[in-house]
This record gives sequence, structure tokens and C-alpha cells, in this order.
Amino acid sequence: MSALSRVLRKWFSRKSKELSAAEAEALRAAFKARYHSFKLLLSANNKALEIMSRIEGALRGDRPFGMSFLRANCTAVSVNVFRIVQNMDQLAPGKYKDLFDRFQHIQEDINARLTRRKEPRGEVLVFPLSQVDKTMADQVGSKMANIGELHSRLHLPVPPGFVISSYAYHRFFEHNDLQMEINRRLQASEKGELDQLYSLSADIQQLIIRAQLPEDVERAIMDAHADLEKQMGRNVKVSMRSSALGEDSASTSFAGQYRSELNVSSENILQAYKEIVASKYSLQAAMYRLTRGILDEEIAMCVGCMAMVNAKSGGVTYSRNPLNIRDDSICISSVWGLPKSVVDGSVASDYFVVSRKGNQPGEIVRRDVKNKTVKFVCYPDEGVCRMDVMEEKGGEPSLTDEQILELARIAVMLEEYYGTPQDIEWAVDEEGKIVLLQCRPLTQTEGRQTEFVCTEDDVACDALLLQGDATASSGVAAGPAFVVRRNSDALLFPDGAVLVAAQALPRWAALLSRAAAVITEQGSVAGHLANVAREFGVPAVFGVQMATEKIESGVVLTVDADTRRIYRGRVESLLAKVQPSRKNLMEGSPVYEILREVSELIIPLHLLDPDSTEFKARNCRTLHDITRFCHEKSLKEMFSFGKEHHFSERASKQLVCDIPMQWWIINLDDGFREDVPGKFVHLSNISSVPMLALWEGITAIPWSGPPPVDTRGFMSVLLEASANPALDPSMPSEYANKNYFMISKNFCSLSSRFGFHFCTVEALVGERPNENYVSFNFKGGAADYGRRVRRAHLVANILEEFGFRAEVKEDAAFARLEGFEEGVMKEHLKLLGYLLMHTRQLDMVMSNDASFAQHRSKIFKDICSITDPAIIRIACAYGELEGAANELRGLL
Amino acid sequence: MLVDAFSVLLVDDEVEFLDTLLKRLRKRNLNVSGVHSGEQALAFLQAQPVDVVVLDVKMPGMDGLETLRAIKKSFPLIEVIMLTGHANMEVAIEGMELGAFDYLMKPMDIDELLYKLQDAYKKKALHERRIQDSVEGVLRGKR
Repeated sequence: MSALSRVLRKWFSRKSKELSAAEAEALRAAFKARYHSFKLLLSANNKALEIMSRIEGALRGDRPFGMSFLRANCTAVSVNVFRIVQNMDQLAPGKYKDLFDRFQHIQEDINARLTRRKEPRGEVLVFPLSQVDKTMADQVGSKMANIGELHSRLHLPVPPGFVISSYAYHRFFEHNDLQMEINRRLQASEKGELDQLYSLSADIQQLIIRAQLPEDVERAIMDAHADLEKQMGRNVKVSMRSSALGEDSASTSFAGQYRSELNVSSENILQAYKEIVASKYSLQAAMYRLTRGILDEEIAMCVGCMAMVNAKSGGVTYSRNPLNIRDDSICISSVWGLPKSVVDGSVASDYFVVSRKGNQPGEIVRRDVKNKTVKFVCYPDEGVCRMDVMEEKGGEPSLTDEQILELARIAVMLEEYYGTPQDIEWAVDEEGKIVLLQCRPLTQTEGRQTEFVCTEDDVACDALLLQGDATASSGVAAGPAFVVRRNSDALLFPDGAVLVAAQALPRWAALLSRAAAVITEQGSVAGHLANVAREFGVPAVFGVQMATEKIESGVVLTVDADTRRIYRGRVESLLAKVQPSRKNLMEGSPVYEILREVSELIIPLHLLDPDSTEFKARNCRTLHDITRFCHEKSLKEMFSFGKEHHFSERASKQLVCDIPMQWWIINLDDGFREDVPGKFVHLSNISSVPMLALWEGITAIPWSGPPPVDTRGFMSVLLEASANPALDPSMPSEYANKNYFMISKNFCSLSSRFGFHFCTVEALVGERPNENYVSFNFKGGAADYGRRVRRAHLVANILEEFGFRAEVKEDAAFARLEGFEEGVMKEHLKLLGYLLMHTRQLDMVMSNDASFAQHRSKIFKDICSITDPAIIRIACAYGELEGAANELRGLL
Repeated sequence: MLVDAFSVLLVDDEVEFLDTLLKRLRKRNLNVSGVHSGEQALAFLQAQPVDVVVLDVKMPGMDGLETLRAIKKSFPLIEVIMLTGHANMEVAIEGMELGAFDYLMKPMDIDELLYKLQDAYKKKALHERRIQDSVEGVLRGKR
């Protein structure tokens, strides 16, 4: 480049008016190269802004996102800003050297915040359960650490066993380079559709299951099993449960997200281990991590293996009411056989409530004995099976009073020991002895004080459709029903629908981030689906008889989970009483925190005013600053380069037109149909697509002079003009003083100053829809500040109606539109051309709302008369569709 | 300048991905070839230089950055677009500093890749043109 600029300088310094044909040709080529750099800068600029707005969206919580989103977007924004800086250096070699330095600093900072320090880890592959306590959570996962603690510290009965550690997990992953491959697949799915996510989840799980275990890991597991056989007898079967690191902390309950295997024989332990590890990538677990901002790589799967208890009965104890933070009763759900069916919600379960007296359990205050028709039991060889329960036994309570009180005593004791409410899974063995299987903190929800009462004349009474048995998660919500029966139904589940299912199966949890409410026929409030519903704040009613038959998909329902009632239609009186309080679940999560930290180096804009002395390369503190700085400077460089040299083809020409204003044009590349030797250019010789469209709008409706002004308006203009010298129309810079177009065939940048008003329009309109854009800034204007602000709002408001993204900062309006076909872009440019001419003095009449509305409707009428309404309307519809599509994409 | 009259070499060890991409780009009438490693890419370029190379970052043997370095050394005018399934900021910026035209992430839109290829080729053509002009200028000056 420097060689070239030397040549150019030589030409310029000669001040020769005549260039040889060869020299002129070479100069044209130089201009072309320059313009290409400028175009590459603009395209990188656009891309960078687009990514920044995506990051801002994620910050607002418009989508769940994982580390792959963060890594991909931070990398992409850095690459594009670097391209901006490189092309800036092409346009003005060496002039803004500081940019490289600033960029490097910012980028290194981002990278440091993005790549977190890895936690140190242990070196033991397998621990006997008897050696485990809660200080070892980082090696065995919190679930198994808790179970170990129950045994080693509290001397409570738990089955003997061992834990396959996080170190073993890391060895397994590293041995096969699994994390790298998984990250690659996750990145590839960033734009994926829901059905692709199902297959992605299946593929990753297959990848893990097919991978080889390192030999030492295999040996350690089999040795531990041999030790267990010595203790429990040959052929002892085990239950295998996931115990992930980072699982089960109080605010993020992973309850049942992962796979468990019951009654596993020694031949299948290794296979089952891999399957449980693979379930880290089950769709529901992956979606859950994504929606809660949990770092994928920080979850290491440990697996607890415990001698299998052939349970007579089993279930779950909550040391407090999970639905009401003020209720300290102990709640016990119980079934015949293994506790599995309480957890997965597949069978109706008995429900017992025990009151508290100080730190002791009081008495049994509620017995809700269900008819339990089936139970799960162990097969002799391996696995579990569903068995019918004999009729009379099905209706009997699955626990004795003694057992209920003993369970309550254990719950109170554990709560006291851990200092927070607990969720305990247990079994009663064949001798009637209670054995604990799991224990973790319980998430309680607020509960609502006020119950809505259905009075006789209440509209809600007429609309009452169904009544359920149990509040699984509190709240009121409405939406169209969607009945899910098969797995594949989940693919079609619409955003904001009410999920209706026969059973409260864990697999439906993957839909909860999109569901308005949940209704099931069966299921336990202690089950996984209920846990996740509470965490996501999605109202849920269980035990709604015949729900899947009586409710048709598509029918709008209102679900009041607190009264367990389901109404037809939207019952506004109920909905009105509930604040929409869907939490931004990402906030505060590890992934969100990283996003927040890195975005501080990307998003904030400090260089606002190009006229300020602070507007310098070395003052760029964020990638946005660099982007903004370079955009401004690149336009200036393109402008002055064209202005200053003596190559008449590229000097500015005045446009010959009927409008009594001066319009100057600089041809950047191929903006003229043929070369123009003189000082003037005719419109017929302009080939710039965006400029012609803009011009059409500028000239479409003759401007009728300033609108009639009331005296106050006029006074305000006079006062402001005399008080503020910056508003003097004779600005020092020529660039700002006249109306200047810089054009090429597909590009145009207009900077114009009509009296007190300053606006810029910049547009790229070509054959690549994804690169097309129009941006519009509108600022200044006489009249007092209040009126200028109103005018800016009026402009922004109109542009938004027509599909632009617009915002107002103080008295300036900014609007952008991008990504549409040429035809659509042209219509919007026409609209801008019109606005440019006709809103410029509106603030004079905008002293009252009546004239505001009047002018707004006149502007709308004009716009519709000059643009193609089909296209403009389509554009708006596209905008909406695009928005909806993005939202959907975001959720994935 | 005929926008599509240029040649492209794709370098990617992922056979399936490469074949699909070759097929799709050929459907768009692009003169495009494919090889599976950095070493093969260099050998290919010795025999048959192209205008633009699309280079996977993570490959066994010579990785993308090494290959990029070697290409820029032997064929400084060839434009190189980096392509990766593993977003990595440091690698990305290092590649850009080594003179890569851009760094794209898989999966990318096929049209977006095509536009990048066109832009990269245009940059190369303009660059060559300017070198030619300045050489001629120097020669004229000597005369």
C-alpha cells in the first residue's frame, strides 16, 4: 500500500491537470481498490453491529445460551472488528495506528474473561462409599457426597457401594478427546431446529457410549465391584446414579435430569456407566443447562453404585412443603415397590403430611391413600419390571404409621444437620427397615396468600372446565392447549402453549422453558417435572382426570394452579391478579456472568461525539468504540480523498436538479453510468440504486414550505438559534455544510444539513440481501429541547411502524433496517427520502398532541401514496416473522 | 471483471463435509477443488495455483495456521479464508494477523461463503492489478 500511496502522492503533487491514459487507468484502479477496502469495512461493520445486538439481546435474557454461543459470538465480533481495523489501515495507512494496539488490548481482555481457570481435580478413580463425606463433592459430585455423609457422619442406613469419580470422567473424556468433538457439534447446531436438536442429543450420546474407557478406569471400577461382592455376596446387583459436579446446588435442582440404572449386574456396569455419563447430553439435561446458563464443561459426571435394595415400598420425603415457604410440615410421597414411580410421576402415590413440634415431628395430619395399581420390582437377574398390584393391597397405605414418623424424624434431623430443607429418597427393605438412597436441598416456592374464590356470578364459574388434585407449581397462566402423547409431539410444541399430558414424565421437562402452564392426569408433586416447573415458575396442576381426552389442542385455557382449576378461554380477572414474573433464569448463572463480563468490553459506546476532542483512536475502550470510530473516519477518508486530489473524474460534482438546494456528488466507484468530465452531473447519469430510490422519495411530494407556526413555536426557534452558536447553519466543515452524496452502484451515503437539521442516510443495496442495509440518523433542529425530543420520537415511531429498528437518544433518532431484497430496501429508502424533506421543521408545530397526531397521519398517508404498499406491508410482516423465528431459534 | 471466473481450493480433513461443500459450490458454477490436508494443499498449489483457499483450522498433520503461514510465504497473493468448527478467539486473530482474509465458523450459510469468496477474489484481482500498474509506472519512469 505504501508504494502505491507514494505513486499517488507523486501524481497529486504534480498538480497536473492532464494524466496520461495509462496513469488515469492506474488511478482508476487505485480508486477501485480503495473502494473495495471501504466496502469490506462496511460489511465487517454491519456484521459486528449485528453480533453486538445479538449479544445485547442475550444480556436482556431474550434467549438461553451456552458457552458455544458465547465463544462463537465473541470470536466473530473480534474477527469482524479486526477486519474493520485492517481495512481502515488500507484507507489511511498508518494514520490510526493506535487502533491495532487498542484492539489487541481489548481482545486479550475478552479472551482472558472467556477462558476460565480450570478447577484442580483429584487423582482417585473410584472411592468406596464408606470413605466419602461431603467435603469430597468436587470429586464424587454433591449427590454421592451427601449420601456418604449420611453414612459416615450421621450413621444413617445407606446401601454399601462405591463412586466412580470426576477424575475417572475426565480420564474417559480426554482418552477419546470427547469434549472437543462435542463442542464442535454444539457449535454446528447453534442455528439448529428442534428436530435437529433431538438428533444432535442422540448423536452425542452415541459418541460417548461408543467411546473406549481407558484401561485403568475399567480396572478400578471392576475392582471396586469385586470388593462389594466380598461384602454383599456374589452377583450383587447395584443401582447406578448420576452424581454430577455442580448438580443439586439449592438454586439449580437437576433432579432426575440424568439417567439412573437400577439392578445392574456386574457384566453391564461398564456399559451402564457410559450410558449414564452420556445422559449428560440428554435433550432435557442439555436444554436445562442451556436455559439455566450452566457451563457444559464444568459438569463432570460422577456415578454412584450402591448395592440394590429390593424395596417393599419406597418414595420421597420433603422436610417442608415445597409449595409454600411458610409451611413447615413434612410431606411424604410413597408407593409400593421401588421409589422410581414417585420420581418419574408414572403412578399415583400415597401422600402423608406430618406436622412439626419445635425440632421434632408432631403427628400425622393428613393421609391421602391412593389406589396404586402397579409397582416396580427388581428382576432376579437384572433390571426392573412393572408389576400389577393385587387389588386389595393397591388401596392399602404403603407405609405404616411407625415408618411415616420415622421418615419424618430423619427428615427433621437432616434438615437440621444441613441447615436447609431437604428432599430425601428412600426405600423400605424386605425386613421393613428404612434405607436412604438420596438426599439433596429442596427448592421451596413462595406460595400465594390469596386464593381466588369462585363466586356465583363470577364469569370464571361458567368457564370452569376441569379440577385437578394437586398443585405441582403455583401461579396462573393462559395459553392454547397442546396435548402431548408421543415423544415426537414435543417437536411441534408451540411457544406459550399449555402442556397437557397423561403422565408427568421427566421427558416433558425439556418443554418447560416454552410452556405457559402444565396439566397432567397423573404425577407426583415430588417428581422431576414438578421440580423443574417450580424452578421455571411455570404453573402446574397434576391429577386432572381425563385431561388429555377432555382438552383439545388449540383451545385456549387459563390454568390457576393455586386452586387447581382449569378454565376455558382467558379469564382476565384471574390473570390480572398475577404479575408476569417469568424469571430471567440465566441471570446470575455462570454462563450469564461470563457474558456480562465480556460484554463490558464489547457493547458500551464511549465515543459518542465525532466533533469532540476525545474522539480518538487511543480512547477506544470497547469493540463498539472501535467500530464507531472507524465507521466515522472511513466516511471522512473516502470523502476527503475524493475531494482533495485533482482527478476530475472523481472530484465532487453538483447535481443538476429542480430542488432549490445544492446537492454534491462524489463517485466512489461505479456510481455514474459514464465518466463525467465537467462540474455537473445529471440525474440520468446516476446509476446508484440506493441514491435513486432515496431521490425518488425526496422529490415525490413537493415540500410546501415550513408549516404554519404558532407564535410560541416561532419564538422558540429564534431564542434557541441566538442562544446556541452550534446551531449556526454556517458550520466550519464543508462536509457538514452542504448535502453530499457519496455513491457507487450499490452504495450511497448522504449527509445533509437543512438549515438547523443534520441527517445522514447510508445504504448498501445490492444482490446480497444479507449484506443490504439502510441506516438513518436524524439530529439537531431549531426549537427548544422538548420539541426536538418529541420530533425525534415522532420520526423513530414512524420508522418503527415501517419495520425499522429505531431508537431515540436525547433529541436524535437512529434507525436501521437490514437483510432484505433490493426491492424492499428501495421502498424503504423512498420513505426515508420523503421523511428527510418533510419532517425537518415539524418540531415547530409539535407543541401539542393534536398537531402531533395530525402530522403523523399526514405523513402516513403520504408514505402510502408514494411507496408500494404491498412491499412495505410485506416488509413489516417479514419483520415480525423474522422476530418470531429468532425467538424460537434463541430458545434452542 | 467476471465475478465467478476464479478458482478455489477447499482444504478440510472431514471428508463428508468437504464433499458436500464441493458439490454445493460446483452447483453454483464455481471452479473448485478439494484436498484433505495442509500438506496436500501445498502440493496442489505448487502444481496448480488458485485464487482463493478455504482452509479448515483443525486438521491432523499440518494444522490450519501452519498451512496458512506456508501458503502466505510461497504464494503471498493467494487469499485464504479460515473455516472452523471450534470457535477460538486466539487462533482466529492469529490467523487474521497472518493475513487471512476472514475467519468463518461452521456451519456457515453457503451464500455467505460464496460472497466471501467473491470479495476475497476481488481483493486479490485489485491487488494484482495495482502491482502490475506500479511496475509499469516504474518501467515508464525508467524509459
